[in-house]
Amino acid sequence: MNNGMARQAARLLLLPTWMVAFAILIKGYSDSGDGFSAGVIAALGVIMQYVTYGTATAEKLRPVRYARQIAMAGLLIALSVAFVPALRGQPIMTHYPGPDRHAVHLGSLELTTPFLFDIGVFLLVMGVCIGVFDLLAHATRRERS
Amino acid sequence: MTLIAALAVGILFAAGSYLLLQHDFIKVVGGTMLISHSVNLFIMVSGLSRGTEPIYPLVPGEKISDPVVQAMVLTAIVISFGVSALLISLIYRVYVAHRSVDIEHLSDFEERLVQLEEQQVPPEPGIGVLEDREDGDDSTRQAAGSTQPESAGAG
Amino acid sequence: MNATVFLLLAALFAAPFTAAFGVARSSLTRPVAIVTSAIAFAAALYNAFQPGPIIDKEWAPAWGLRLHFEADGIAVLFALLATGIGLAVIVYSSVYIPIHLHHEHRAEADQTRFFAFILLFMGAMTGLVMAQDLMLIFLFWDLTAIASYYLIGFDSQKREARVSAFMALTVTCITAVGFLIGALMLDAEYGSFQLPTLIETITPNYEFDIAIVLIVIAALAKSAQAPLHFWLPRAMAAPTPVSAYLHSAAMVAAGVFLIGRFYPLVELRAWLLDALIVVGIASMLTGGLLALTRDNMKQLLAYSTIAQYGYIVTMFGLGGKAGVFGAMFAVIAHGLGKSALFLTAGAVTEATGARELSNVGGLRRAMPVLAIASGLAAASLAAIPLTMGFFKDEYFFEAAAHHGRLTQVIAVGAAMMTFSYLTRFWWGIFGGPMIGSVKPVPVPLVAPIAVLGAISLIGGLWPEPFARVASNAGQVALRSDDALHPAYHLKWTVENAMALCAIGGGLLLFLSRRFWLERVEIVSDFGKRVGPERLYRGSVLELNEISDRIHWIEVRDLRSRVATVLAPAALMVVITLIFTNADSSFEVGHVRRDDWPLIMMLAVVAIAGVAAAIPRDHFSMALALSGVGFGLSVVFALLRAPDVALVAVLVETLFGVLFFAFLGLIPRNVEHADVVPSDEPQEVGHRHRMRDSVLATFGGLLAFLVAWGVLSRPAPVDSIFEDYIDLTPSAHGDAIVTVILADFRGLDTMGEITVIGIAFLGIATFIRRRRVR
Repeated sequence: MNNGMARQAARLLLLPTWMVAFAILIKGYSDSGDGFSAGVIAALGVIMQYVTYGTATAEKLRPVRYARQIAMAGLLIALSVAFVPALRGQPIMTHYPGPDRHAVHLGSLELTTPFLFDIGVFLLVMGVCIGVFDLLAHATRRERS
Repeated sequence: MTLIAALAVGILFAAGSYLLLQHDFIKVVGGTMLISHSVNLFIMVSGLSRGTEPIYPLVPGEKISDPVVQAMVLTAIVISFGVSALLISLIYRVYVAHRSVDIEHLSDFEERLVQLEEQQVPPEPGIGVLEDREDGDDSTRQAAGSTQPESAGAG
Repeated sequence: MNATVFLLLAALFAAPFTAAFGVARSSLTRPVAIVTSAIAFAAALYNAFQPGPIIDKEWAPAWGLRLHFEADGIAVLFALLATGIGLAVIVYSSVYIPIHLHHEHRAEADQTRFFAFILLFMGAMTGLVMAQDLMLIFLFWDLTAIASYYLIGFDSQKREARVSAFMALTVTCITAVGFLIGALMLDAEYGSFQLPTLIETITPNYEFDIAIVLIVIAALAKSAQAPLHFWLPRAMAAPTPVSAYLHSAAMVAAGVFLIGRFYPLVELRAWLLDALIVVGIASMLTGGLLALTRDNMKQLLAYSTIAQYGYIVTMFGLGGKAGVFGAMFAVIAHGLGKSALFLTAGAVTEATGARELSNVGGLRRAMPVLAIASGLAAASLAAIPLTMGFFKDEYFFEAAAHHGRLTQVIAVGAAMMTFSYLTRFWWGIFGGPMIGSVKPVPVPLVAPIAVLGAISLIGGLWPEPFARVASNAGQVALRSDDALHPAYHLKWTVENAMALCAIGGGLLLFLSRRFWLERVEIVSDFGKRVGPERLYRGSVLELNEISDRIHWIEVRDLRSRVATVLAPAALMVVITLIFTNADSSFEVGHVRRDDWPLIMMLAVVAIAGVAAAIPRDHFSMALALSGVGFGLSVVFALLRAPDVALVAVLVETLFGVLFFAFLGLIPRNVEHADVVPSDEPQEVGHRHRMRDSVLATFGGLLAFLVAWGVLSRPAPVDSIFEDYIDLTPSAHGDAIVTVILADFRGLDTMGEITVIGIAFLGIATFIRRRRVR
């Protein structure tokens, strides 16, 4: 795995991977893909660093250090989107703005609570995937030593 | 087409159940994965409406492939991923504990353990059985059985 | 904030508040517990003078649930008991528990758990008595059961305590499930969970009968009525303050409370009232008889609780003003008296170290205050004139006299036994010659008893305020605006005659105890041998046995278990195929020209699947599995499902890396050694492989037939997906699948991410630490 080419490629690809993930997340409601696939793609970018550089270098990446917090935040966001309506006396998973109401447009993206829910799923999946690989990497290192 | 799809489902299921019957845990996991693949395929082809992608703008008059089935399969794929990942980490755990991933070795081990316990400790009367009614200290507390309150560790 | 909300919040937040302080600093636990319970008691008192308004808020409208609380008469009565006696018990515990922990060689920090759970119990009890929504009642009902589990099992290092806690939990929770079923039946039949609405609208029918019987059984089990009484004497394994609280004013009272709460429904059926009388009398006699013979102080009190609640249940069954109003009054009198006696037992054990009546005696000089205070409490329970308890017996006799001669006789008999065992208790401790040595006890161990005893006396001299609380409660239960006016009538009434008989007979019984004690013990021993506790033990043991056996089968051979699961499933599939598909033929289907890529990919997937099953080593299998996954994602793409294809590719990539990483952790030699286990001869392995292939082929064949049969059926004409497609634009989206996932069927996705989260937790625990056992 000490191939310089692979390292270069992995380093170069990290940012584009995240870009793609972000695009898929944003485009989720108007094109194929959703929060889940975006999360997996973002995580794959990080996992690539693990494979090419090894645990020590990859761990310096910010998403790795905060993987658990990212996952927790995602779960919290998704749960609150689901259950906040219940506090307001509406069925859970009621989304705002309601059907056919006006929503703020940013290009093809409409700002609605399902989008927030998708962001929650994205963060959770990314955090979980990175977290699992981090644990695995540690286990592997232990096993070798 | 119907027959071919059904054949593919059947073959995947057969391969999966063969692996499921092995005594190597890793193969058992492979079996569960194959079976879930076969089920996903089955659900997917059961919506054989086969039109265009279910994304707006739609072409008027043209058939659309069933989005409900797709959503269900999507959820199923994700869940089976989570379950398989959990299973293999469980197997890793088993390996760490016993240095084996073979069901025969594990059950031999368990059997030996039980025999060992039975030799050392007389049979535990089980929960719900106490001989003396009056309360007071009872010194015969051995392996607790399932009656132990969760908080027992704090004692 | 109105009075109702204040009481609710004060009671419900006492436990978390105390726990929070206690976790921060263990020494803060006791003062905070005393202050919070005092606040809750003050709130309950305030509600007694000025009942707060009804709270009625929507909770889960789709299920017809409401947050519906009301501080009505019953609620105020039981809340006063729960918080008032709670306060007394907590003051007592603030000294008792540290000593107890010291005796048991436990950390002093454990006291936080004690106070938190006893306050939790108080909160749950207060919530329970105020709730008007059946689901809320159930919620608090179970919360009391859970709190009682931890309280009874507080000395969790003792097996006795664990078994007892488990037994109390089992008995009360199984019957609580009955309550839940009853509540759901009432909702299904009359369309409401609101008790006031139900009382207005119910016309009894068959479903109503079942529901109300289930509810009453739950109440009786909680009140430890025969034949479900056996958990209560067991629960004496708890520290004494717990017994004092749970078995006088809280847990056992909850059962009687429930009968009072549902009384407007219970009284619709005369046979149910008769059943209450029968159960009550049975408990009265069982409890009384056993209480007469116990030597252990707490056991004696436990059986007397069963008997006393038998009184109260009988009074509910007898009905009418004397019965129901009197029952409410009896709850107050009994709660005050019985908690004082339990606390006395604790204080005496603390002073002398003795738990049995035969090991103490003559303490009247050494502990005069305790003797007087507990004497008052015992007198009140034994219904001596000038104490509060006198009136409870008077109403009991009045109701019994109304009902018939037999009931009257039994009532007097029960009262005789009560008088007798209470005299035995008090005289056994304080009378006779001095036995053993006494060490002084701290003031807080005596003061609460003195207060409770004094209240019992005040209630006898000036019963009016207590009667008003009981009347308010009775008015709710009986839906009348009558009131109790207890007073002493110094003339020859039936009740007075019965009371006189009871006291005289009881005295006689007490004095002649030498003659009958042994004989009654034989009876109680017999009861122990064939009683319901035996049944409980038997069924618990049997269940344990069955689970052991299943566990054994599971552990012994996973593969045979797989086969035993697969074989019946296959059988069912065969039967289904025979019966459902007999009429329709299988369709081969048409192959269009653009289907060829799809067919090719399906072939690739099938081949990869078979390839995954054949190899001996894990790496080849993993590679073939990846092949299946990637092939399937192409299939999904060809089926015009871009979202699914994308997710399938990503998951496959991720899982591939994960799988190989795990395989890297498990050395290669393991897998090769295990292809054929060392102790398994080659030909056996071969035979197994044959068996497995036959089974697998058969399974695959069935799967194929089912799939083919299903796919041959024409799709339903109107599927839900048309609606989803039409609705997608109004949900602000274009990609229908994503909109379904995040919006229309968002709960599925909730479930999905929950699974992912839990799987992550599991994986993290499995691979983080290496140490095992």
